[in-house]
Amino acid sequence: MQGEVHLEQLTKQFGDVTAVDGIDLRMPGGEFFTMVGPSGCGKTTTLRMIAGFERPTSGRIVLDDTDVAQVPPHKRRVNTVFQSYALFPHLNVADNVGFGLKYKKLTKSEHQKRVAEALDLVQLGDYGKRKPNQLSGGQQQRVALARALVLTPAVLLLDEPLGALDARLRKDLQVELKALQAELGITFVFVTHDQEEALTMSDRVAVMNGGHVEQAGSPREMYEEPATLFVADFLGVSNLISAAASPESDGCVLRVGERTLRATSGATASRGEVKAMIRPERVGVEAQGATGENRVPGMVERAVYVGSAHELHVRILGGDLLKATVQNDGSAFAYEEGTPVTLYLPPDAVRVLAPSAAAPAAVEA
Amino acid sequence: MSSRWTWRLLAFPGIAWLSVFFLMAFYVVIAVAFGNQNTLSEPVAFWNPLDWNVGYMLETLKNIANGGPFFTVLVRTFVFVTLALIMALAIGYPVAYFAARHAGRWKGLVLLLLILPFWINYLMRMLAWINLLSPDGLATRFLSSIGIERLFIAVDLLATEGGWLEGQSFTVIMALTYGYLPFLILPLYAFLDRIDQRHIEAARDLGASPFSAFRRVTLPLSRPGILAGLVLISLPMFGDYYTPDLVSQSTKTNLIGNQIDQLTRQGSSKVVGACLTLILAVLLLGLMFYYLRATRTADDRGDDR
Amino acid sequence: MSWLRNPWGRPRFLLLVTGVYILWSLIPVGLAMLFAFNDGRSRTAWQGFSTRWFTGETGSVLNDPALQGALRHTLFLGVVCVVVATPIGVALALGLQRWRGPGGGTVNTVMLLPLVTPEIVMGVALLLLFLQVLPGIGLGSNAQIIGQVTFTISYVVVIVRGRLVSIGKDYEEAAADLGAPPLDQLTRVLLPLLAPAIIASAGVVFAISLDDFVVTQYLSGDASTTTVSMLLYASARAAPTPALNALATIALLITLATLGFAYLVYKRFASSDDAAAMAGLEV
Repeated sequence: MQGEVHLEQLTKQFGDVTAVDGIDLRMPGGEFFTMVGPSGCGKTTTLRMIAGFERPTSGRIVLDDTDVAQVPPHKRRVNTVFQSYALFPHLNVADNVGFGLKYKKLTKSEHQKRVAEALDLVQLGDYGKRKPNQLSGGQQQRVALARALVLTPAVLLLDEPLGALDARLRKDLQVELKALQAELGITFVFVTHDQEEALTMSDRVAVMNGGHVEQAGSPREMYEEPATLFVADFLGVSNLISAAASPESDGCVLRVGERTLRATSGATASRGEVKAMIRPERVGVEAQGATGENRVPGMVERAVYVGSAHELHVRILGGDLLKATVQNDGSAFAYEEGTPVTLYLPPDAVRVLAPSAAAPAAVEA
Repeated sequence: MSSRWTWRLLAFPGIAWLSVFFLMAFYVVIAVAFGNQNTLSEPVAFWNPLDWNVGYMLETLKNIANGGPFFTVLVRTFVFVTLALIMALAIGYPVAYFAARHAGRWKGLVLLLLILPFWINYLMRMLAWINLLSPDGLATRFLSSIGIERLFIAVDLLATEGGWLEGQSFTVIMALTYGYLPFLILPLYAFLDRIDQRHIEAARDLGASPFSAFRRVTLPLSRPGILAGLVLISLPMFGDYYTPDLVSQSTKTNLIGNQIDQLTRQGSSKVVGACLTLILAVLLLGLMFYYLRATRTADDRGDDR
Repeated sequence: MSWLRNPWGRPRFLLLVTGVYILWSLIPVGLAMLFAFNDGRSRTAWQGFSTRWFTGETGSVLNDPALQGALRHTLFLGVVCVVVATPIGVALALGLQRWRGPGGGTVNTVMLLPLVTPEIVMGVALLLLFLQVLPGIGLGSNAQIIGQVTFTISYVVVIVRGRLVSIGKDYEEAAADLGAPPLDQLTRVLLPLLAPAIIASAGVVFAISLDDFVVTQYLSGDASTTTVSMLLYASARAAPTPALNALATIALLITLATLGFAYLVYKRFASSDDAAAMAGLEV
């Protein structure tokens, strides 16, 4: 498959600041790859290095078996959709889209045909004569997309392209963008700070933090099987439990204060102080006094009605506060604030976490 | 990478130009000041610092240190400039404050009227006052009719009736104020306009009276703008010679600029003139760099990602 | 001072100061312009309306050789100064903006120094330069042009760089990303986007050149290199006729028309913030 990108020990320093610290990433051809992380984690710098706007301090950027780390941006088979769109304000939409075609040595009619096709692709066929400032934000975003795609790049880079749009439009464009990627089969490398966007759009996600890659994998893996505390905390809501671990044949035993829990997933071979996590939707809420394995008594401290569900904040014996989601199935709500309950933490849902790959040192990209 | 050299190449003509006509020109002043003069009192520059003759510079400095004519002129310059700066600030601050805060929907017009004098030839603005203050001028007649002329003569700010343009210090200071005020008001306006109104609202919200909000918030916040504006107009004032020439025409109001002008352009001794120019430049260097530093922070923002 | 006591009240005191200041700053010039149209020799007593000092048979700007020559020479210097200073300044602004590595800071400071150096210091320096080092150029038109260009370059750099900063690097990077080599990034993207700033800076350079006095005077040669400003300085106290007012009026109108045009061009193409910044540029 064309458009495969390998980052090998890629490093970028700005003066004394290390923005990207020796990362290794494999971005398979034809996939929707997302880099996600808090601001300053190095994701945008990484993208800019792939585009060629920043020269790596060291490391390799291998695009289909060629190291392009020292190739200037205008000679790379890589195109970018900018966060600001960067549509040339002095050119109309058609000229914007045709800007890069000038370097393809096409006949005039071929040029026009390609521009028209690209505009049709993003459903802006009739907008060729408009100036960028006469378009809405969503339309500008599509022009930026058409301008990059018309050059049939091996890889399309997208730097928070939906960041400037309002929530509803954002959702629509997420779906469109994903569909477009699937249709064209071009590698998309997408940068966002929005964890939900990362999970819903991507074939593969890399969570970055402090210039390092914390974990990379499919959205399902990342959510269900976070490897580190940072990933567990960054993607979705999670309950974190401090515990002392001791491995046993089938998983591991966690000692939380007076109580023990059994955990069967994650770094179950760990011994000593660890963090364990469980997603709120996996926490079972049972009546007071229910007994059995992995059950802890507690008291509802807050109950938040969020429409489709109730979100309970339960203080368990020993002091930790756990969140539990109870689906709103229409039955009467039985967990008012102050109600004593028992929480069931299924052993396969309790996940033992490895410590973070890097101290989360915030570095502005 | 090739593009890096493209950019340097673009900068080259400008750098070469400034090197020859700015930096080298300054070196010529130094070489002349530490040079000699021939029998026709034409300067002979000493280019090699090892050959420098400090005689003329020492003599000039001695003249100043011993209270000679150069000392008198320097002191007068500082006094005139200081008084003109005080006057300019007293008028300019309220005007800039009004334009920034209270002009409302007239802001555009007020700004236009404040910018206009900025672009009217300085000498034409002086010519206008020369017309008005000449013995039969409109302003002279007006000031006489309302008794101001007599008052000024009584307090010794004016020597003779209708003699506003005859060597009067007061006229020169007012002319300097008038001439350079527009160059103070605009930067001051720009600075005051940038002060976030919410700071003042916050101060009021926290119980400050309007006056104490002004004194404790607006005034401290505008101090850098005031300083930068005053420095900006003091620099050309220190080098001014044409204003006293035009509105006074008397050696009694000579400033350091007049002294330098007589020695260099009019040519009585270019070597001593170069010494004085150098002394003036050194005295003002601090102000020049202060101004560049104060404005650079705003300039460089967004320079780089 | 009631404006201090009541923030919602009309700031009468400030309004008064501002109003008086504006009248004080503009009325004298207005009167000087009015007397350019006086039908007599007086510049203080109105003797009826006439354009004799503009176009009359004798002693008018049109027919007096000294006045006409000064106007002609002033405009000549202005045009040449624009033609020389604008391209050098634009190139320097572009070069400085992308200057990476050592030397950039120094060049930057040196470039800004002419803006704050008292003109008499520059005047003396250039005078001595042309007398001592470059007698081949000598004093006169060439020296005047060189002197004016030396300090107007900085204005071009400041205006163009302000626009470059507000444009940002995205457009350039987008052009590179789409395959444009460095030269095309400059000609196809940067220069078109900079056009309003370039036109505005040309207008400012022209206006500054027209109004300049000190450096122009220091570097002047014979009578043929007298400018309007120099003539105003030389004859203001020497019992001149209203023709001097007429000359100053013409020069002023040319300056204001140039700046008005430059401002409109800039406002049309650049953001209003940039335009305001340009209008408030310090001299």
